[in-house]
Amino acid sequence: MKLKGRVINGGDAKGEALVLDVPFSFIGDFDPDTGKLAIQGHPLFGESLANKILVCPSGKGGTIAPFIAYQAWQKGNAPAAILCTKAEPLLCESAITINIPILDNFNQNPVERIKTGQFISINKDEVTVEE
Amino acid sequence: MNLTEVEEAMASGEYGPGIEKCMSILIRLGEAFGAERMVRIASAHTMPKEPPDLLDEMAEGVTQTGVPTTLHSLMSAFDPHCWQKMGIPEEFALQELSNYKRRLDIYRRIGFYQTYTCLPILVGNLPLKGSYVSWIGSGAQLLANSLIGARTNRDGTVANLATAITGRAPYTGLFLDENRHAEVLVALDRLDPYQLTHTDFGAIGYYVGGIAQNRNIVIDGLPRELDFDQLKYLMAPLSTSGSVSICHIVGLTPEAPNLPQALGNRKPSEVIKVGKEEIKQTKALYAEGKSDKVDMAVFGCPHCTVAELKTMASRLDGKKVGNNQRLWVGMPYQMYYLAQTMGYTEVIENAGGVISSGCMAMIPDSPVPYGVKVVATNSFKAAHYISRLTKGQVKLLIGDMETCIDAVTGGEWKGGNP
Repeated sequence: MKLKGRVINGGDAKGEALVLDVPFSFIGDFDPDTGKLAIQGHPLFGESLANKILVCPSGKGGTIAPFIAYQAWQKGNAPAAILCTKAEPLLCESAITINIPILDNFNQNPVERIKTGQFISINKDEVTVEE
Repeated sequence: MNLTEVEEAMASGEYGPGIEKCMSILIRLGEAFGAERMVRIASAHTMPKEPPDLLDEMAEGVTQTGVPTTLHSLMSAFDPHCWQKMGIPEEFALQELSNYKRRLDIYRRIGFYQTYTCLPILVGNLPLKGSYVSWIGSGAQLLANSLIGARTNRDGTVANLATAITGRAPYTGLFLDENRHAEVLVALDRLDPYQLTHTDFGAIGYYVGGIAQNRNIVIDGLPRELDFDQLKYLMAPLSTSGSVSICHIVGLTPEAPNLPQALGNRKPSEVIKVGKEEIKQTKALYAEGKSDKVDMAVFGCPHCTVAELKTMASRLDGKKVGNNQRLWVGMPYQMYYLAQTMGYTEVIENAGGVISSGCMAMIPDSPVPYGVKVVATNSFKAAHYISRLTKGQVKLLIGDMETCIDAVTGGEWKGGNP
């Protein structure tokens, strides 16, 4: 399956998808020291985001989030790319700070079409999902 | 995006690698959110918690930034000058100190002022009405947008730093006239504004913020004589229980000469009424339990003015903070010096209080001293964050400054249920 989106920060990336059903922030929802998801009560709590392709509906507040993303990136714990339904400024800023691809505004909603564990490759504005 | 020649040169590395990186971040963000151009900013206020390597990269080759830039609090109670007196664990302090010193070298080189305060207005960072600025900190942003009528977006810490270093920001969001009008009208219902205490003002802000969420608001019915402390306690909680960016006050703030103008000649989408009952209920959120033993009193969220230190000193004169009790005050160094020349700090410190430039809302990040189970404060913002950051392990009580002081200097907690 192929999806086409809008490139906010460009680049190529490959990795396993981790699909969240809720908006994500690097602060509060994530532990930069381990790379693990820290959303209390979420079924994916404790799953690692490191080098994965994060798929989520959007981002959310927490102005210090870009610093946290950078700390994670320095430790090798940041995701490899972010695909979202509709980007929000702080999630974009976080991705741009560590220079990983971030795309939004797809022809099909990535949160609905992609499943956790599927292998994804990103080439410019095209996202290939292995089925 | 349409860039000027200078901006193009910044983006292509002619001004060095730091400026190039900063400009490239701002261009990508501006393009993602539809900005057609950059504007020059008049001042910046940034967050001194950068991962030191990131700050190094973004400031590489920079010797002087274009705009006056002040620094926010260190986002915990930690203050490099008095952490021992506060009982902050050494392990935490040493880590903070090492990062603090690395950043400090860079701040000195590029000219970021070591103010360490959430209230840049107090230390002379004072843009004009209509100035574009980039300020970090939800309270500082709200005051800049509302009280001064300067224009700041709710930037993240990296866009904010990039803006401070380049002096440029994407022309978007709250920079535009059409995004600055109020949507929600707040009407005071049979309240005498001259009788309201600081905690009453705080309760109004905390109540309204929870309903207004991220919408701009306008308050009608307050007199133009309100002083800075009253406005500070009213506004800070708006971005605590909610994420209000602009709070106009009819007849008082610069973009609200009258109600229709504040609303952009539209009808409000909602009217919030606030009366005695709403204030009482809001205070009750942090007031249950009548005879609690208070372990710590906290003031300075947002940071204290010298006027507040005068009140504090007169209440503390001849008293002592009890054994195993604490009194912490947040205030910037520059104001500390002024309060010292007035003789206030001596009284407070002799009584056992500690005055820190740290952030009193983020106390648990330093972390909270051993044995502190009940904290009394006059600030809804501090109460909100301390109770949440400690996941309810520390109990918060709201009361006026005098009530809080009495409870840690031999008296009992008299706030209780209103």
